[in-house]
Amino acid sequence: MSTRVSGRPELYTAYGQDMAFLNTRPKQLGVLAVVVVAALLPLTVSDDLLKLLGTGLVLAIGAIGLNLLTGYAGQVSLGHAFFVGVGAYTASVMAGDPDGRAMGLGITFVPAWILGAGVVAAAAGAIVAPLATRLRGLYLAVVTLGLVIIGGYVFTEWADLSGGAQVGRDAPKPVVLGADLTVDGAYTQEQKLFWLFLVVLVVFAVLARNIGRSKIGRAFAAVRDRDVAAGVMGVELAKYKLIAFVLSSFYAGVCGSLLFVANGHFGPERFSGGYGLLLSVQFIAMVLIGGVATVSGSIMGAFLIALLPRIASELPSFLPFVTTASNEHPNVFEIEVGLYGLLIIAFLLFEPRGLFGIWHRIRTYWKSFPFSY
Amino acid sequence: MTTTIASLVRDRAVSLPKGVAMRHKEYGIWREYTWVDYWDEVLDAAHGLLALGVAAHDRVSVHSENRPEWLVLDLATVAVRGTTVGLYPTNPAAEVEYLVGHCGSVVHLAEDQEQLDKILAVDVPEVRTIVYVEPRGIAGHYDDPRLMSWSDFVAAGAAHRAAHPGAVEALMDQARPDDVMTLVYTSGTTGPPKGAMLTVANAEFAMRTVFEDNSFVAPAPGPKDLTLSYLPLCHVAERFFTTWFNAGAGVQTNFAESIDTVPQNLREVQPTLFFAVPRIWEKLLATARIKLDSATRGKRLFARFWLRQASSIGRTLVDNGGSHTTGTRIRYAIGWLVFFRALKTRLGLRRVRYASCGAAPIAPEVLEFFMGIGVPVHEVYGMTENSAIATANRPGRVRLGTVGEPLHGAEVRIDDQTGEILTRHPSVFAGYWRNEKATAETITADGWLHTGDVGEWVDGTHVAITDRMKDLIITAGGKNVSPSEIENALKASPFVKEAVVIGDGRRFLTALIGIELDTVGEWAQRRDLAFTTYRDLSEKPEVVALVKDLVKQVNERFAAVEQIKDFRMLPKELDHEDGELTATQKVKRSAIDASFGHLIAQMYGEKVSA
Repeated sequence: MSTRVSGRPELYTAYGQDMAFLNTRPKQLGVLAVVVVAALLPLTVSDDLLKLLGTGLVLAIGAIGLNLLTGYAGQVSLGHAFFVGVGAYTASVMAGDPDGRAMGLGITFVPAWILGAGVVAAAAGAIVAPLATRLRGLYLAVVTLGLVIIGGYVFTEWADLSGGAQVGRDAPKPVVLGADLTVDGAYTQEQKLFWLFLVVLVVFAVLARNIGRSKIGRAFAAVRDRDVAAGVMGVELAKYKLIAFVLSSFYAGVCGSLLFVANGHFGPERFSGGYGLLLSVQFIAMVLIGGVATVSGSIMGAFLIALLPRIASELPSFLPFVTTASNEHPNVFEIEVGLYGLLIIAFLLFEPRGLFGIWHRIRTYWKSFPFSY
Repeated sequence: MTTTIASLVRDRAVSLPKGVAMRHKEYGIWREYTWVDYWDEVLDAAHGLLALGVAAHDRVSVHSENRPEWLVLDLATVAVRGTTVGLYPTNPAAEVEYLVGHCGSVVHLAEDQEQLDKILAVDVPEVRTIVYVEPRGIAGHYDDPRLMSWSDFVAAGAAHRAAHPGAVEALMDQARPDDVMTLVYTSGTTGPPKGAMLTVANAEFAMRTVFEDNSFVAPAPGPKDLTLSYLPLCHVAERFFTTWFNAGAGVQTNFAESIDTVPQNLREVQPTLFFAVPRIWEKLLATARIKLDSATRGKRLFARFWLRQASSIGRTLVDNGGSHTTGTRIRYAIGWLVFFRALKTRLGLRRVRYASCGAAPIAPEVLEFFMGIGVPVHEVYGMTENSAIATANRPGRVRLGTVGEPLHGAEVRIDDQTGEILTRHPSVFAGYWRNEKATAETITADGWLHTGDVGEWVDGTHVAITDRMKDLIITAGGKNVSPSEIENALKASPFVKEAVVIGDGRRFLTALIGIELDTVGEWAQRRDLAFTTYRDLSEKPEVVALVKDLVKQVNERFAAVEQIKDFRMLPKELDHEDGELTATQKVKRSAIDASFGHLIAQMYGEKVSA
């Protein structure tokens, strides 16, 4: 109802202005600029890099989900890969060929299998949540780790679902308005998929931001900062931990539904054993490196992790002792794995607020100019 | 029909119903009042006064920080032809007893429990009703029959309004130019405060002078301007700047949360017109200096460079009466882009198109700084007794060290013999309330007002003020010295908060100096100097040396007889509560002599009795 007073960004005449989604003009323009640049990116960037960036976009959706759980609500989870797997298989089954070798329902409408993957993953989350909400810290981490192991076993053994070990099954085909995005046309496969992923990411990022500044988001923060105190204040712990798990799983499911679309094929080993755990750790790394409890940080973190193999593969040209041959040491693959650990440790030690913290510091420097506080 | 501040707001509610009249910050949000809301509440309050039996010429006293209710009650009182009396929120109970008793108010507004306790503690038989605004700690805890909450008061008014529609409007039509609309009590540096009677005609002339005939600023103040209201409303300067600017020119008044939050509120509101007393300008300057000095290295060096440019731009502006030359205009434009704009935004002065300073003398260095960074501060001069109308520096015709040229329609002359400044115009007050003797001493039979200030003409156009007449020091050697000039030179340093020059009838001049706790504290911290209290910090040899150095620098600018030969540090911050300052933070010299006589005696080598 009240209007902003022109030229006075700090003069709030209603609480709504203070809490608005993008509450200052620079933020509005900045976000618009980033989205426009991202939308134009496929026209200038080479396809192989674009594929990596596309993966970054999809991982960002999952990272935002984990950030809702770990960053906003403070619940550690090593089981994110499990929910991503549930999403991946749900989407594949829904979109899969009913007459094919593995299960399939033949639902080709893209939003249907994206959301379906999210809903089934969320349901899985809801089943796990009552167990998880009774635990904290290390115990919660171990229980969620168990999910990855159980999931890996089920996916491998349930051959109708996953196609079986070492065989795998096809990922869903993204057919939008009758056009298969995985076939090169006026634009290449990578360009079209990038745009699809971008649209989905923007939708879910905006949703996450809105959750973060709603009553639910504030309840999450209260639970994270001190669950006993939050309970005393009237935040229903069980309810909000459940919501956190469900939301987080939903995002993981959506991420899973799109994760293998570019490759077109995936096997159950992606979610079992070492790989399943690695995927979970990668999501934790995205959250920690990007910035805890920030949507933009999750996106930055996802991109960094997605580009890490590429960064590692560039290393030999700077460091001559690093090789690209896998039978010599140190090689780029070892370095890549080591970099996850190194980055997590370095960020926890020197920049606990992640990439977002760095951005925040830069912003504060100019916002407080010419003073320092 | 007579125009009063009440009729002005009534007309504005018709011509600009949706326009914003006021903003008041509550729970972090600036609540807006439109002109219609404002006038509606004034009408309710005016009917409320009628319901309480307030008749024409009755006094209504207000003891509150600046807030919408202050203005509402002021206008309501004027609407029913009563007289508003303002009290400083810092007035202790004894002064409340004197002021409320002396004016004989029948309705008293106490803002909160603190102010209520003061009025309940004293004996004021004429007060029939005490209205309180903030119910916290009051509702249900007090059973004085005179008590009434603001909401009950307004509700009673609304009921009266329904029963007697048009009663207030009828009274407004009867308003006469010589109705006393307000009593403004002077701060009383020497004796008990005196209540200056300002009439409807006084205010009308004052508003016309400032807004129409001879506006300080072009274009004239209007509904698009924002002001920040934070100085005590019972002082004539703030009343003019808040209530009269609001009613007369339609500016949007924003109430600061308190005097301590002024820097933050300034940043939020970014006013276009800003009035401050020297103390506030000095504080803003000190804050800017400290914050720039404690910034990171890169910012600090950058700031230093541009502050040097600012001071050279400031000097050029001063030489040109406030106008730019081509050179300074280009330099300022570049500086605006990369530095001044950001600095002004952070200080909350980015959108200020006219700033003024008055009510006490200010050091020219301070004005020069603000001119340099692009905030044109104009020194103005006036006093309670002439409704703050006398002289002003006008944009482009600024002369530093003077209080400007006489305003249009205001006669100003300087007595040949005493050097006293005299003014005569329709805004000169009607006299002191219940004090014929003082009135006769102040206004001559032919209407000239004795200001009590000694001054002189500069270039025949501008007036420069030497000092208050009664403050002039005559040394034992017979030399006339103006202490305020030396005191202000000392106070221009960010480290000095108070400086009191002594020497009347003495062989040489001395000073009592009080440090600014914030800045000196910061200075000490950066030198790893540990301290506990104000007194401890004041007496540190390093701090004494710092002040000694300052005194030496100031002495170099004055003739031998005007130099400070010795000084002592004040062991405490001067305070209104302790009687050392007036409500307007002016030093009461008699109280200083009493409290710190032993320090003075030491400096003159006399035997210390205490």
